[in-house]
Amino acid sequence: MSYLEVNRVSKHYKKNQVLQDVSLDVESGRTLVLFGPSGAGKTVLLRIIAGVVEPSDGTVFIDGEDMAPVEAEHRGVGMAFQNFALFPHMTAYDNIASPLTAEKLPASTIEERVQSVAKLLKIDHVLAQLPRALSNGQKQRTALSRALVGEPPLLLLDDPLRNVDAKLRFEMRLELPRLLSGRGATVVYVTQDYKEAMAMGDKIAVLNEGRIQQYGTPEDVYLRPATIEIARLFGDPVINLFDVTPNQGADGLFASLSGVDIPLPDLSEQIAGSECVLAVRPENLEFVDAKADNAIPVIVEAETPLNEKVITLAMTTGGREILLSRPAGAPGIASGNAHVAIKIDSTLMFDKATSKLLGSNSNESNRGEAA
Amino acid sequence: MQHVSLIERLLRGVALILVVVFFMFPIVWIVLMSFQTNETILRVPPSFIFEPTISNYKALITGKLETSAASLEINFLRNLGNSVLLSVGSVALALLLGVPAAYAFARHKFKGSEDIAFTLLSFRFAPPLLVLLPLSLYFQKIGLADTYIGLIWVYQLICLPLILWIVRGYFEDISPDIENAYRIAGHSWFSTFRKIALPLAGPGIAAAGLLAFIFAWNNFIFALVLASADKQPVTVGALAFVTASGIQYGQIAAAIVLSIAPTLALALYAQRYLVEGLSLGAVKG
Amino acid sequence: MRAYPLTYKKLTPVSTTASKRKRSGFISRAALPYVLSLPALLVCIGILIPFFTAVFYSLQRYRLSQPWAREMNWGENYLNFLTDPGFWATLEVSLLYAVLTVGLELLLGLAIALLLQRRSRVNNFVSIMLLMPLMTAPALAALMFKLMTNQGFGILSYLLALVGVDDFRWGSSPDTALFTVVLVDIWVYTPFIMILLLAGLRSLPTQPFEAAALDGVPRIQQFFRITLPMLTPYILTAALFRLLESIQQFDIIYAMTQGGPGDTLTVFQVEAYLNFFQSTNVGRSAALLMILWAITFFISNIFIKNWLRLRERARGEA
Repeated sequence: MSYLEVNRVSKHYKKNQVLQDVSLDVESGRTLVLFGPSGAGKTVLLRIIAGVVEPSDGTVFIDGEDMAPVEAEHRGVGMAFQNFALFPHMTAYDNIASPLTAEKLPASTIEERVQSVAKLLKIDHVLAQLPRALSNGQKQRTALSRALVGEPPLLLLDDPLRNVDAKLRFEMRLELPRLLSGRGATVVYVTQDYKEAMAMGDKIAVLNEGRIQQYGTPEDVYLRPATIEIARLFGDPVINLFDVTPNQGADGLFASLSGVDIPLPDLSEQIAGSECVLAVRPENLEFVDAKADNAIPVIVEAETPLNEKVITLAMTTGGREILLSRPAGAPGIASGNAHVAIKIDSTLMFDKATSKLLGSNSNESNRGEAA
Repeated sequence: MQHVSLIERLLRGVALILVVVFFMFPIVWIVLMSFQTNETILRVPPSFIFEPTISNYKALITGKLETSAASLEINFLRNLGNSVLLSVGSVALALLLGVPAAYAFARHKFKGSEDIAFTLLSFRFAPPLLVLLPLSLYFQKIGLADTYIGLIWVYQLICLPLILWIVRGYFEDISPDIENAYRIAGHSWFSTFRKIALPLAGPGIAAAGLLAFIFAWNNFIFALVLASADKQPVTVGALAFVTASGIQYGQIAAAIVLSIAPTLALALYAQRYLVEGLSLGAVKG
Repeated sequence: MRAYPLTYKKLTPVSTTASKRKRSGFISRAALPYVLSLPALLVCIGILIPFFTAVFYSLQRYRLSQPWAREMNWGENYLNFLTDPGFWATLEVSLLYAVLTVGLELLLGLAIALLLQRRSRVNNFVSIMLLMPLMTAPALAALMFKLMTNQGFGILSYLLALVGVDDFRWGSSPDTALFTVVLVDIWVYTPFIMILLLAGLRSLPTQPFEAAALDGVPRIQQFFRITLPMLTPYILTAALFRLLESIQQFDIIYAMTQGGPGDTLTVFQVEAYLNFFQSTNVGRSAALLMILWAITFFISNIFIKNWLRLRERARGEA
């Protein structure tokens, strides 16, 4: 059963609509990632769940209970804030202990639990410090400890890795899932980083301009993004987008790219003659011999080796920029004329006017909009 | 830094000295006067050289003033005591009323909150007599005339807006997330207010209280209208004293020194708080 | 619902606090801010009542000495002002006092602020010293100056005599009374303007000045073209604030001359006070205060707008 259920929640400040008809549910012990650009309404949604912001409309259920009359302090949630929100006049120890003092636990129990969570997060040596004496990483771990120490059944994490440096972010990205799954808590995790979203989430809700645009598993969102926008947000380097107008040929659908007719997979919709966007992930493009089928002539402009892969920027004869990605070590072409081919089965087709994904069974994953 | 010529530096130095002399001289002179007998005060030409005496302060403290005609009883210490009572009482009441209200105005933008805040602020700028004169008639009817309670209540006219507006600014500067975090950790709004908001706004509350104390101490018109002799603070008492003691100038000077010493000492002690408070937060000190 | 991939192990949820979950407390969320501000609100109302009473009085023929003749006369008190030279004298001296004090204090305060602009130990010391007059009760400051201008032994009278001015009678002559009280006002309140402008000056960005210095712009021009325009919001705020106080000045004038000599210094509040307590003319007194209130209400509206803007800016920077 679902532990957290958000039912048609809307929020507006005066005329400013921040959330519109948002519905979500999270199974007990699972992690939901709220993903979206800044200003999408993720933080407000989190606050509504926590009970420090009241929704203009809609209901939040925790463990089946309507939260409307329940104050924040009685909801039994733990929350870590993006800006840490540590109490500046209390030591790290007192910060972490604050959920326990609220329960009026005996001092020895508090001590024990604070020490154990601090040890787990490797900050047991700075517990006597005030927040201003802590490094950013230590602050972040203190904030996390404070959220975890009360072992709340529902954890809300508001982009907890946003304000820490890259190294720490990398470490925590590995560490956090282990920490969270060990506790069996239901988690709502807010992030703007698609890798974090993929790594953390059992499910991902993509929020934009106050609406849920897609709600599904990480694979769903990556392989069948509901809109062009989501396709662009998920994936690095960014997905290649080609404006095309498919034609019906003798052998099926095809589209013309740089004078080369590329056969397209069959879709359920009739798209021949309508304006579409063909989206190809950089890893689904490969260098081929000039004589290969459907080889598109390009000029290689630049090559950027990253650790595990090599990114190539190339230009078609028609002047379109395309990005290719290949595993490091795989053969490639560093400059000059070359030919590339599209792995056509892995491409996505979007309607240009609505920017919605065409074909496949994309409707199923658009639960947020269908509701 | 730009090059500063010798002449300019000289001129600046002279100007600085003139400024200090103009603003400090009256205080220095009154202090000197308070340690002189009438004899040396009346000397022509006046001189900085004299044999200091504490007889003026002694007379004020014992309450026996020797005038040329007769010995006069005047209880200036009572005025000092009134000043302390009225100022401390007013600030305490203003903090008690103003801090929770400031918190409400800062955290909950409720209906009419801005209107109430502005109404309170506008009292700070309205002519005090407009309220005081009708009030003096009301006070006689309801038995508050010439009582400390009545006076302390009227002093809210200056103390409350000051506390409300300065402290509200400090509350607004606390990130709401810090309070939210404490609520979510399981604490009631009241313990959040006590354990988070109050300590974090502490310096602002202290500054506002200090400033309110100084304004209350220096107030003249409220007690002039509403208090009789035995409830009057030093500001009004000193004026009455001038009339009563006639030409005992040394004692007048000593009374003034005793009256202004507390606020000057507070100002010296906490000057860095004052700047922001004085401008109602228009500049950060 | 989609099924989750099998790789996720099924977790048993920890015991929830649902059973312990309490409803909202004694005071409901919506009522809380009202409850918090209620006491302050009551004081507010307690002050509003005498205010409305004053409006009422101002529309009455009401002398404390003749309670039997009390009756509504509607606008008569106000209409009488038109032909009442005493009223025009009050208006004139009040405005004159306000304009003189604020004008001179602005000039002097700006000059001193510029003098102290650079942070140094001497300058900091001087600016702390300048707090002293501001912390002195204005009524007591007036008494101090009364002692200093005494004809018999006053140091200021003596100094004037040294330069040949023998018959300068300060507060006791109609010719010099205004000058005397303005001097006290300047002594007390110039530091206020100085402090505000000094803080303003020190908060100005330095780049425009550096650029101007590089371009060789003379410092006089720097002052008029850069400093003054950038300082204008501070000057305006300080001036409006002081204007509000100055047009209502009572303490200094009452302590120095009680409005005298004669009726030389019967500014609004002094005149209203004397009307009320000496001639017991409550109606006229209240009408005078209503007119003063109208003036201050007008100024305070402009002031509050300016001040809030400046305050937002200060908080944005901090």
